[in-house]
Amino acid sequence: MARHTSIESTSNRRWAIGFTAAAAFLFVLYHWIVPNSPQPVHDFVQGWFSNANTNEMIVYIIMALGLNVVVGYAGLLDLGFVAFWAIGGYVAGWLMSSFLGNFQINIFGNPAPGLEMGIHITFWWVLLLAGGFCALWGIIIGAPTLRLKSDYLALVTLGFGEIIPQVFVNGQDINGFNLSNGTQGITPIDPIKFFGFRDLGPFDLDYKFVIYSVICAGMVMVSLRLRSGRLGRAWLAIREDELAASMMGVPLMRTKLSAYAVGAFAGGLGGVVFATHINGVFAERFNFSISIIILAMVVLGGMGNVWGVMVGAIVLSWINGIGLQQLGNTINTTFNTDINFPSFNFLIFGSLLILMMIFRREGFIPEARTRLVMHEHDRDNEEVQ
Amino acid sequence: MKKTMKVAAFAGVASLLLAACGGSSGGGGKSLTISSDLPLQGTNKDQNDEANNAMKLYLDQIGNKVKDKSGTEYTLSFKAYDDSTAAKGSWDDAQCAKNAQDHVANANEIAVMGTFNSGCAKIIVPILNQDPNGPMLMVSNANTNPGLTKPWDPGEPEKYYPTGVRNYARVISTDDFQGAAGAQFMAQKAGVKKCYVLNDNSTYGQGVSKAFADNAPKQGITVAGFAPYDPKQPNYTALFNKIKALGGVDCIYVGATFDQNGGQIVKDKVAVLGDNTKVKFLAPDGFVGYPDFDKMPEAQGAYMSFSGLAADSLIARGGKPAEFAKAFQAKYGSPLQNSYSIYAVAALQVILAAIEQSDGTRKSVTSAVFSGSGISVPTDSSMLGQAIQIDPKTGDTTARDMTILQLQNGKEMTLMPWTVQ
Repeated sequence: MARHTSIESTSNRRWAIGFTAAAAFLFVLYHWIVPNSPQPVHDFVQGWFSNANTNEMIVYIIMALGLNVVVGYAGLLDLGFVAFWAIGGYVAGWLMSSFLGNFQINIFGNPAPGLEMGIHITFWWVLLLAGGFCALWGIIIGAPTLRLKSDYLALVTLGFGEIIPQVFVNGQDINGFNLSNGTQGITPIDPIKFFGFRDLGPFDLDYKFVIYSVICAGMVMVSLRLRSGRLGRAWLAIREDELAASMMGVPLMRTKLSAYAVGAFAGGLGGVVFATHINGVFAERFNFSISIIILAMVVLGGMGNVWGVMVGAIVLSWINGIGLQQLGNTINTTFNTDINFPSFNFLIFGSLLILMMIFRREGFIPEARTRLVMHEHDRDNEEVQ
Repeated sequence: MKKTMKVAAFAGVASLLLAACGGSSGGGGKSLTISSDLPLQGTNKDQNDEANNAMKLYLDQIGNKVKDKSGTEYTLSFKAYDDSTAAKGSWDDAQCAKNAQDHVANANEIAVMGTFNSGCAKIIVPILNQDPNGPMLMVSNANTNPGLTKPWDPGEPEKYYPTGVRNYARVISTDDFQGAAGAQFMAQKAGVKKCYVLNDNSTYGQGVSKAFADNAPKQGITVAGFAPYDPKQPNYTALFNKIKALGGVDCIYVGATFDQNGGQIVKDKVAVLGDNTKVKFLAPDGFVGYPDFDKMPEAQGAYMSFSGLAADSLIARGGKPAEFAKAFQAKYGSPLQNSYSIYAVAALQVILAAIEQSDGTRKSVTSAVFSGSGISVPTDSSMLGQAIQIDPKTGDTTARDMTILQLQNGKEMTLMPWTVQ
């Protein structure tokens, strides 16, 4: 037992050092190196790996890690994860802006001059409130539906993912109450105070990166700790064989609900982070394709493996954000063509998924257990031969 | 641990190498970049590609040169930004935010022509407004939402200008005037008495349809109903049957953009209520410039309003617009047919006029538009065939010219210009 704890603590230290080094490198890159580089270097980095895109990537990593708990750990197919992103975003909109102008509440908030009306709560509290609110919704939705299995559960989550954004799209007049400002969205969101001493404006992307990285690191830590704990083992047991898990004394409903709640909590965090990233929340963003892209990140990266999911989120958000556009521009310029590469986005996603399912079903960086299960058939064949 | 050290060492060396190449952040000098920020994917692709081509042609025509007020000459370059994503097929909030960062980060960039969608402008304008070297000027050819420049919804327009200084202008009129023009035309020329008003639930659709519904009663039109429709619905026969049941509805106003399932709306309207001679159909400029709409048999006879002067009537005026259309055809081999393309060049003219009155810095260019008597482009050089005057207090154009168009044999024909009082 002592040896196990020691290995775990070494592993924890290793990822923490690696994560911190990577984040520190990116901060140095965006804060000092790029601004002091010659224009071609500056343009190259901003064109291919802009800091705005990196921050968006972190949002996707947080989301994907949340969905990984539900899909990767507990094996519950969720096609409506975007709903939690939306709820988290709107909690930021309600609690960090002048939108709810009938109130004038300020709890360590940071309203811009002239926008003091409304509710203004500090970013860190809003993170927790949004996470908690989403977790509550996860439980509310999960409680009556988690008795369903696989396809049926997927359909219910799909419905949830469609209903919640529609509530926000049409929410500007609910019996006279303006819940969401409809498609006009809620802007602006209060600036984050950087650890209490600096208001982060629209150009402080590097400082925002630090904050988002801290939140992301928290999510990684929670994922890893939960995975290796009692709850994580119960999730895996349910994923592998629900009936066997139940027979072994795993409380199915409670365990599944906790997976839903943790995943939804991460969705809420991501929603708040994204709202501060784009300085607003807009109902039209939250469509079905976002749920599918996040799911693809989990599947392509390696279901159940935190590092694989992070790689999946980084690759797909880069392709979807600027990668495909930049590759297209480069090819068009080099070969003097006029092909609209971004319009092939879904074709490329689809092809990538098919290729992965044929050649590497377990994802980029699979979880050891998943790899064994995926290749069980190959092993059996070898044994027969 | 060794691996970690190696990675850290590599990162350090790479940083040093990059830093060693360092110098100044570039930019400045005698060259300036004017950019556009438009959705270049999805249904708006063709018309915005045309707008970008028109701007490139205009810059070529002036030799890609401009002088500031001290006589310093700058070489101009053009950069097109795309604020849409393939996943959405339309403007995307994160892409708009990213573009705004890039506009500011590109040291050579002096001003932005755009955006096409008001929602995107509401994200970009506050960021450009806080540019440490600005505010940075943005001039739109297509944003018609009133809240960007004048009091409309709570907090508007002040919340888009956090520094308290304006940096956004437009050469096209706003939806409040467009809605009013639509109501006046329908009452005075089309002779309708009872209208049902639909919208696609977007910022644009809600604004323009509300303006129509507010003005219709003043013109003696009864508003039989005001409702959003869901653009994801496969058909709207139930909706139009409900309207039919109201009795006496002789006009449908659809405050929407065509890409919000406008084709299905028109088909079902004609199927249930009859063609556009029997029950009149009026849409705002969100339906203008869509070849798919123009070709629909059910759409023939439909009226459209446009917050400015339509391309065919501008070109028919002769002078600068006609010469430009001819040059466009010669260069690109296709006619200049989109009104927004001409307005994009008009917006570019405003930016160039502002540079001429500035010292070549972003702050000064913005200040030229919002101080003194503002910016004006004289009639003889204006792409609109008439003087363009920007109100320095709001950034709005002083023109109130609208155009009523009608679809005839698959073509958007100007029926008449309409000036809103």
